Amino acid sequence: MLKNRYAVPVLFLLFFIWSVIRTGFSIRDLIAGVPNLSNFIGCMFPPAWDTFVPLISPAIETIQMAFLGTVFAVALSMPVALLAANNITPSKPVKVFARSIIAFTRTVPDIVFALIFVSAVGLGPVPGILALAIHSVGMLGKLYAEAIEEVDPGPVEAVEAVGAGKLQAVHYAVIPQVTPSFVASTLYRFDINVRSSIVLGLVGAGGIGFELIMAMRLFRYHEMLTILIIIFIVVMLSEWASNSIRAHVIGEEVLK
Amino acid sequence: MLTVDHLSKRLPGGKLLLRDINFSVGEGEFVAILGLSGTGKTILLRCINRLTTPDGGEIVLTDNGTPLNITQSNASEIKEVRRRIGMIFQSFNLVKRRSVIENVLIGKLGRISMVRSLMRRFEDDDIEMAHRALNRVGISDLADRRAGTLSGGEQQRVAIARSIVQDPCLLLADEPVANLDPTTAEVVMEHLRSISVDNGISALAVLHQPELARKYATRVLGVRDGVIVYDGDAGLSDDDFETIYGSNDA
Ligand SMILES: Nc1ncnc2c1ncn2[C@@H]1O[C@H](COP(=O)(O)OP(=O)(O)OP(=O)(O)O)[C@@H](O)[C@H]1O
Ligand SMILES: [Mg+2]
Repeated sequence: MLKNRYAVPVLFLLFFIWSVIRTGFSIRDLIAGVPNLSNFIGCMFPPAWDTFVPLISPAIETIQMAFLGTVFAVALSMPVALLAANNITPSKPVKVFARSIIAFTRTVPDIVFALIFVSAVGLGPVPGILALAIHSVGMLGKLYAEAIEEVDPGPVEAVEAVGAGKLQAVHYAVIPQVTPSFVASTLYRFDINVRSSIVLGLVGAGGIGFELIMAMRLFRYHEMLTILIIIFIVVMLSEWASNSIRAHVIGEEVLK
Repeated sequence: MLTVDHLSKRLPGGKLLLRDINFSVGEGEFVAILGLSGTGKTILLRCINRLTTPDGGEIVLTDNGTPLNITQSNASEIKEVRRRIGMIFQSFNLVKRRSVIENVLIGKLGRISMVRSLMRRFEDDDIEMAHRALNRVGISDLADRRAGTLSGGEQQRVAIARSIVQDPCLLLADEPVANLDPTTAEVVMEHLRSISVDNGISALAVLHQPELARKYATRVLGVRDGVIVYDGDAGLSDDDFETIYGSNDA
């Protein structure tokens, strides 16, 4: 008993110390790096405003990558979630298969998918869209399946009891019940995908991220700052958009 | 028109819940099922429309002279059977986020093409039939409301309208008024009786109040310990009451 009580904290502490030593993490180096960092940031000022307008186009591309990636992810996730949900799946092997897809796409990071697709189809937004679409299935498929499993079985049985098929029961009794939670999960994933598509740009998948890595490689520090400002605006705008849609959907819930 | 023969049903744990159920329901009859909580009345109803698969015995539904063997049916025959059997649930089981009229139209889903149903496009005739059904149960003004915003009594009337549109030959009802106040319960029971009489639909209703059975049913079945212990007049004597509900050692 007593041993168990100390085991976790002691293991935690030992692993912490080992990690600090092994990664060479030191506060002194960190402090020594501060002048370099401020020097670097200083070099970025002022932002290169003349590059602002030409950078709007890649910024839009980033949002469009996230948008298309999310749309395709929704289309892929819905059937996978239906096959993975305990209460809807046609059989155990199908369920295991669908859950494996969800586990696999969630485990492999989107950047790994992006690297694979960039080498397959070349630079540009398309490999980014594919990577987002596939990796998002891991999260959306899981959240959708959980929502489907929480559905009230009563209306589903009522539809089946009139002699309707399973597909009709899903369409008439399951989908209406899961719509609010599907909308919320999808918007949440869209927010994540906007940020991810910026990161994917760094490995060549187009958009504003690609501009950032190019500016960095060419030591265009003023342009980098402009890009960071644009990224900030893009993220704020997309979060504002998804919040408004969420509020609209939830508002409808309360009113009607 | 419905014959249940030596029906048995075991629980997942292995306990034999329904041991040997035998009864029949004739054309136009309104039969009430009474019995203690947990005797398997709900499971009995679910065996009849195959929401549950029985373990033994036979159930045969005869519609227009055609006998359908419910216990022997395969998946597509089960759908055919279900089309002819309406079901009213204690908790109404409407799709709350859809309109009342769409909930009523669900009654038609067993009879329209898959493509049409997935597009949620119903024939004008069917829509008109749904409105007439709502009118029948006195809530035609609620057609466009979201089903979830209705009171319990209104929701159960929508469920009845759904069954009217389905046009079954047998109606099953599992404690249709258990969630309603006494006055609303009477209204709902009255609607059930009237569609049974007017549309020539036989009804089999699980009830928990013998007074409702006496008032609305033409016959009562008492279920106890997996068998039918009473099959007869809806007016129960004290002895009959004891047979169905009394403590065993009394
Ligand atoms: N899926 C299930 N798994 C295990 N036991 C079950 C299952 N469904 C029902 N039972 C059990 O079967 C018994 C009969 O259930 P049923 O719902 O048919 O009773 P009932 O007569 O309708 O009771 P009530 O009057 O309370 O509605 C109960 O003891 C219940 O716990
Ligand atoms: Mg019951």
